[in-house]
Amino acid sequence: MLMARRNLGRDRTRLLLNIAGVALAILLILLLTGIREGMFRQITSYLDRTPGSLLVSQGGVENLLSVTSLLPAGATARVQGTRGVESVIPILSQYTILDLHGRKQAAYLIGYVPARGGGPWRLAAGRAPRADDEAVFDRVLAERHDLALGDRVDVMGRTLEVVGLSEGTTSWMTSFFFLRKSAVESLVRLPGATSFLLVTTDEGASVDDVRSRLASLDGVDVHTKGEIAANDRKLFARYFSAPVTLMAAIAALVGALVVGLVIYTATVERQRDFGVLKAIGAPNRSLYLVVVAQSLIASLGGVVAGSVLAIGARAGIMALRPQFLIVLEPADFVLALVVGLGIAMVAGLYPARRIGGLAPAEVFRR
Amino acid sequence: MIRLAWRNLTQNPARLLISLGGVSVALVLMLTLDAIFTGMEQRVTAFIDRSGADIFVSQQDVRNMHMASSSLARGQQARVKSVAGVASVTPILYVTNPILAGKDRSLAYIIGVPSDAKAGGPWEIESGREDPGAGGVVLDVGVAAKAGIGLGGEVEILGDTFEVVGLSHGTASMAGSVAFISLDDFADLRQDSDTVSFLLVETAPGEAPEQVAAGIEARVRDVTAMTRQEFARQERKVVRDMSTDILAIMNIVGFLIGLAVMALTVYTGTLSRRAEYGVLKALGARNGKLAATVVWQAVISVSLGFLIALILTSLLTVATPLASASLRLVIGLPSVAKVVVTSLVIAGVASLLPIWQMARLDPATVFRRR
Repeated sequence: MLMARRNLGRDRTRLLLNIAGVALAILLILLLTGIREGMFRQITSYLDRTPGSLLVSQGGVENLLSVTSLLPAGATARVQGTRGVESVIPILSQYTILDLHGRKQAAYLIGYVPARGGGPWRLAAGRAPRADDEAVFDRVLAERHDLALGDRVDVMGRTLEVVGLSEGTTSWMTSFFFLRKSAVESLVRLPGATSFLLVTTDEGASVDDVRSRLASLDGVDVHTKGEIAANDRKLFARYFSAPVTLMAAIAALVGALVVGLVIYTATVERQRDFGVLKAIGAPNRSLYLVVVAQSLIASLGGVVAGSVLAIGARAGIMALRPQFLIVLEPADFVLALVVGLGIAMVAGLYPARRIGGLAPAEVFRR
Repeated sequence: MIRLAWRNLTQNPARLLISLGGVSVALVLMLTLDAIFTGMEQRVTAFIDRSGADIFVSQQDVRNMHMASSSLARGQQARVKSVAGVASVTPILYVTNPILAGKDRSLAYIIGVPSDAKAGGPWEIESGREDPGAGGVVLDVGVAAKAGIGLGGEVEILGDTFEVVGLSHGTASMAGSVAFISLDDFADLRQDSDTVSFLLVETAPGEAPEQVAAGIEARVRDVTAMTRQEFARQERKVVRDMSTDILAIMNIVGFLIGLAVMALTVYTGTLSRRAEYGVLKALGARNGKLAATVVWQAVISVSLGFLIALILTSLLTVATPLASASLRLVIGLPSVAKVVVTSLVIAGVASLLPIWQMARLDPATVFRRR
């Protein structure tokens, strides 16, 4: 270990580069996985924060986002009248593309009945809509487009006044905005239409039993909110999870390359010294340990530096671009440590093999 | 200097390989991601481009199909038809919803078209018929093949069962496919026969679509009318504006990865030749010349890495449609230009530390260290 430390310490710039390489890999892995997890949480934020355990949709609809659901007429009353159902919250929702300041902004429009729920769960400013020409916009969306309370926005041929700003309803790709359900019915020209029902079951009633009873109603599908959330995550993961995971894997590979290259160079430069050690009887195992210890020291330094950088970068990015949610859990840092150790092992392999194959006499000739 | 840089690079094949591998992987990522979104931009307008309509009429302020919804009163059709320069008006209904084929579930633009549609129907039929008719659906051939069904097979749309009566080509993209059912079936599913989503207008021969669209907006209330080209431009803008953030992040990540690999390989490459550079300095070589050697090393590595990345991405553009009919990669010139600039910045920044070290190099020390 002492020899490994001395080998590394002889060239501080190289040691710093080594640590920086691993730190960069760890930083990227933590940020990318954090962005992916944050994206998933933002996608399901509405389902996570609204009441109810079951979601009733039009037959064949298994998602909340990116699809259109229109329940058969009278479905709300039939669901409400089903044994075991305590309360029903009807919403009329759909994606909308807003033209704000010359940019296309996808936003998820939710029409709700304020007295029954299903609207914004936390207001940063203002109030809930009282009239059909009033809306609550997500606070971050509003800030990105310089919208404030009292401003007016044109949506599908209607001018809406911003009367409230909601908190926790944003994501980097799309944000929520809320109108009264009657206003959305009028916007989509479907009086009385309902997309989904958020169902709360009676205390003590079995959710599975209630679900079975609801599923027997004509023209509807019934899912737990957890199932719908999983389907929405799967849908979005199809587009964005693969590139993010690929980037994280490449970052880990690059980390291994960086450490590998530095350890390799350091080993080759010290080839004569290793040869001398072999000539005086040092077994291969001891020399392997020196190389692996070098990798470990550099990698662990990189893991610590990368983790600290990731915490700082997370705070910086979320302050500058609040539409991004970056989630860093303790388990992520454990993963970073495992990746760091993995990088050290992979990076040490080739140099160790080179030392193992070294003929002591050879080094003196060189 | 270029020759010296080239020799320095090729003397250690392992280091050169790591350098080229790392940089090209980073650049491939940047190019591929751009290519995916450029491909999506082009595919997302497939229905609009091939619809046969000259003008799209939608609910006021609705300028998109993708992730949008438009509702027009049926009565608007007659009003639009009466505008000068309009040859035909076809109403369509549209939603984005899943199609359930066997156990396979995929998202699709569901288009409801009337049987006498002048526009808006499938544009290239592989087999079967063009008009879905009552209870029928015209499905994308790739979606049908993936689900293992053909003509006569059944799929579920919005909870109802439809028989596959036609298979169409060119109707799939990464965002989903396009499926055609009859306008009446669609209205039944919505339990609403009073509204349609869009009106597809064909202009009379010799009429300028821009002028006819302006005429429609002037004479018909509560509608937005756009030429096909303008409507497609708005649609592409949705993909572009929505992908800006993810592309920015991935570009920064790609840049950092490329920079890390390049900085380290140039640095270690220079470091291992420290003695030789010391000799050159002792012989009177100026710092500027030695710095140029380092920069050339970086530029050559990055240029080779860029070429490898371009070749790999081009191969991907050929291979991906074979693996997935819905995924199409298109390498755009702006994307190539961006990656070239990024590569040069990487080469420049990666050279800084070695140049600084070389400038501080004392020729006498290298002999001592020897």
